[in-house]
Amino acid sequence: MREDTRNKALWKFGSYIFLLIVTALVTIPIYWMVVTATIPQSEFFSWPPRVIPGTYYFENLAALQENTNFIRSIGNSLIIAISYTILSLLLCSMAGFAFAKYEFRFKEPLFYFILATLILPIQLLIIPLFLLMVQFGWTNSFLAVILPWAANPLGIFLMRQNMRAIPDSLLESARMDGATEFQLYYKIALPTMIPSLAALAIILFLFQWQAFLYPLVILQEPEMYTIPLALADLVGAQRVYYDQIMVATSLAIIPIFVVFLTLQKYFIKGILAGSVKQ
Amino acid sequence: MTMTRRTTHSVRRRRLLQALGIAGVSGLAGCVSTGGDDDTDLTGWGWNIAAQSLQDAAVQYNEENGTDISVDELGDDAWEQRFQTAITSGEGAPEFSPVQNYEVASFADLGGLTDLTDRIDEAEIRDDIIDGKWDTVNIDGNDYALPWDLGPTGVFYNRERYSEAGIDPDNIETWDDFIEAGASLPDDIAMLDLPTEEIPQLWRTLFRQLGGQSFTEDGDVNIASGESVRAAELIKDLDDAGITTRVEMWSGGWFTSFAEGDILSMISAAWMDGTLRAELPDTEGNWGVYKLPAFEEGGSRASNRGGSNLVIPSQIQDEEVVEEVWEFCLWSMTTPEVQNTMLEEYGLFPSLATAYDSSIYEEEQEFYDGQAVWELFAEVAEEIEPYRYTPDTPEVMNALETELNDMLDDEQSPEEAMENAAETVADRTDRDLA
Amino acid sequence: MTLGAIISKIQSSHSYKRASDQLRYKRQTIAEWLPTLPGLPYLYISPFFILFGIFLLFPTVYTLYLSFFTYLGVADGNLFEIQLGAVEIAIPRIANLEFAGLSNYERLLLRDSLFHRSMYNTAFIFFVQVPLMVILGMATALVLDAKFIRAKGLFRTLIALPVATGLVAYSTIFLLLFNDDIGLINYMLESVGATAIPWLTDGFWARITLVIAVTWRWLGYNMIIILAGLQTVPQQLYEAAEIDGASRWQKFRYVTLPQLRPVLLFVVVTSTIGTFQIFAEPYVITGGGPGNATITVVQYIYEQAFLQFNLGYASAASVILVTMVSILSILQIKYGGGED
Repeated sequence: MREDTRNKALWKFGSYIFLLIVTALVTIPIYWMVVTATIPQSEFFSWPPRVIPGTYYFENLAALQENTNFIRSIGNSLIIAISYTILSLLLCSMAGFAFAKYEFRFKEPLFYFILATLILPIQLLIIPLFLLMVQFGWTNSFLAVILPWAANPLGIFLMRQNMRAIPDSLLESARMDGATEFQLYYKIALPTMIPSLAALAIILFLFQWQAFLYPLVILQEPEMYTIPLALADLVGAQRVYYDQIMVATSLAIIPIFVVFLTLQKYFIKGILAGSVKQ
Repeated sequence: MTMTRRTTHSVRRRRLLQALGIAGVSGLAGCVSTGGDDDTDLTGWGWNIAAQSLQDAAVQYNEENGTDISVDELGDDAWEQRFQTAITSGEGAPEFSPVQNYEVASFADLGGLTDLTDRIDEAEIRDDIIDGKWDTVNIDGNDYALPWDLGPTGVFYNRERYSEAGIDPDNIETWDDFIEAGASLPDDIAMLDLPTEEIPQLWRTLFRQLGGQSFTEDGDVNIASGESVRAAELIKDLDDAGITTRVEMWSGGWFTSFAEGDILSMISAAWMDGTLRAELPDTEGNWGVYKLPAFEEGGSRASNRGGSNLVIPSQIQDEEVVEEVWEFCLWSMTTPEVQNTMLEEYGLFPSLATAYDSSIYEEEQEFYDGQAVWELFAEVAEEIEPYRYTPDTPEVMNALETELNDMLDDEQSPEEAMENAAETVADRTDRDLA
Repeated sequence: MTLGAIISKIQSSHSYKRASDQLRYKRQTIAEWLPTLPGLPYLYISPFFILFGIFLLFPTVYTLYLSFFTYLGVADGNLFEIQLGAVEIAIPRIANLEFAGLSNYERLLLRDSLFHRSMYNTAFIFFVQVPLMVILGMATALVLDAKFIRAKGLFRTLIALPVATGLVAYSTIFLLLFNDDIGLINYMLESVGATAIPWLTDGFWARITLVIAVTWRWLGYNMIIILAGLQTVPQQLYEAAEIDGASRWQKFRYVTLPQLRPVLLFVVVTSTIGTFQIFAEPYVITGGGPGNATITVVQYIYEQAFLQFNLGYASAASVILVTMVSILSILQIKYGGGED
């Protein structure tokens, strides 16, 4: 028994060490990013590199705001990313449920077709897609950015994979109790999938938060720029506004932080276990 | 009254949104109206410096002519991606835009640019702009762009360190002199930076200095020519002499190396002036410029690096709009005062030779310890050999990068490198070897 | 009064009950109506396919179509027009095309050594990247799922932050970290007496740099997915295993791993697709160099499309890419996923 506790302690210790190393490796570049946001451009290239934050953050921020109307871009990014995430969650969970728990004709071919579209390089889809949006008269609209990938192949795939874990017996017994098919979806499938939905929400939000190439060709008015578009204007062949880019990045991370912390609490155990016991 | 494409789109967009019942969601649909009174507004796109200098010009032009011309400023990659998409999809291009030298041929070849030959003839400006520039905008006998700035080359050097090492730039007349001067430096100080991405650029600078052409007039691949091999040999000599270092260009370390005097010279062009002033203000007074060393005594000391031109996309089909844009482009590109303002404010060196008469070229500049560098660049500009670009120029640069690197790793001789590069280009572009 | 108290007060109020009853009734009627429809699954997938059909089908089919042509330039006039009441849809003939048959494919598959090079580079990254990502993502998720770990939320968030850094900042930082001469990493290596590594100037190391960059950026992403998957493993399976005296490894091997299989499969397949789509990293960090040692397939496609304007050729390369990766993914799903 003592052997066991020592083992346990060792295991705990090892786990913590591993976690700390991974976190450190991942966080150091970010920390450095934040440091560079607090120093003036002229010190950006000083050697050895600065590791202690400076006091220039707000000066850089003011320059950024003057240069790009960054606050507006944050608002635009939020509107687009949030509406996109909600819409896409709904579509993906519905379709994923069908692919995981129903039998229907062409199920496999349809699914593999969705998967194949995930592989198509977005770089090449941009030209025909832009053309389509011009025809719709939707250039310079948020809708044109939100809709095309609202049908997100990745989201369907993730939902399908996770929903396969819902025991068929659970659905069957609910059916016996008189639940309708639609209730199976929103009363059983959705609640049991909350951790996965939270993960998917994070993924979708991130996808849209960072999207660059496609929004770039669609959103041409500077008032409609998202954060990545506003940042792209700070990069020139002969001059790059590193200080402002880093300030912008430090700000752009905040919403992700918030999204994470908000969705964290849904990463809880036993949701499915609870319903199996019924 | 003209109706621009943008207003047409916004009307159609509104109609479609209404049809879908979502016009009320204005936050989602974005700015549905583009202003209303914009019947004559003309919009150009440009990357940072090009856009800013055109914006200044447009302000003056609008005041004088009551027009409504504006220029959207984009980052480099943003301009590239957006302009390419607009041209290749045939929709959504601006009324005018600057285009880099090496890209004019590609866009023109696609049929994306308006043929300006007749307008240029009519304006009688051919003699006002230096000869070396016209081949850049000419594809198969037609001109598809209005020449703007160019990049007359020079060697920027660190005055203090040169004199400490006893190097007199006036005595560097040939590349041999340059290598010799570099060899006299201590080991930890480099005469020149030669990172991977610079190598094909340097090749082109040297190749143009020798008057080489990548493609013959018939379109055959000509990069295994004598000039090409000589340029490659010199790159190898520079590398073998141990006078170079490899610091990534435009990186922080790169700027620091120049500021600290770890790298003493830089082969670049007139536009580098603006970058140096912006990034290294503390180095004022310590810079100087001399012309590229010649391959042999008395040989050409001029080449070109970079430069751009103004184009009108062929999607702009309304004759009145084209005419109005053309008038603005012509005025801004061929009015000496406008061009010289762009030089002073943004470091864009005009290809408009009539601008060189201005007294600003003789000005002694503090940044260069009293040297009149614009005069030097103007002299270089007038000696630049014409150079033909083709849509396959990127293939040439790509092949050269690989082969020249193998050459520097001693895997092949300069002749072999250029022959292999020529074969690669010929194979990839279905062209013949010259 | 706490928020919870307010909510429960509202919920117990009479009007709320009436409203929620009505709502429930409405829901029921909708729900009763739904299953009577034949093909209910189609109803679930239809919103997806409608959007997909409008926005992504045309670009997809157009890419396939273009792959059989040589793109000569832009063109005027319309390919076809549709008049739908107030809405008119005109698909312009955007391109001046020349039918090329299978010649694009023939050249790509048999003669284009740069395309083969890009395939080789991408495959190299794939073989290193995917196992690394899966193992690391799994290990991190498992540790973070352990009951004894404190401040889980903080760790999770920190590890996932890189995904949120924009491309511009991300590439700037990596260039500064990995620069051969003035990079922080070589500085540290040299200061502990090790030799500097040519991170960006040597072909092999440049590919490794890309792997590190991709891993750094996407580890948190995969960790989140696996972590979410772990939450759906029924707790009583562990309890049962514990009663049987299973060791930590046995619990992992016989409970966690099989239960997690669908999610791991998702991670494997999406990482596979992701590595074959790598574009941003080589584009901004190595520029495809040195000497094309890190040019990836999608970067090659991009350059063909936007530098050379060989849209037809680029489309054919995309079709080849999609075909290859699809086959790979289907094999992974068929043989790795325990599909029934």
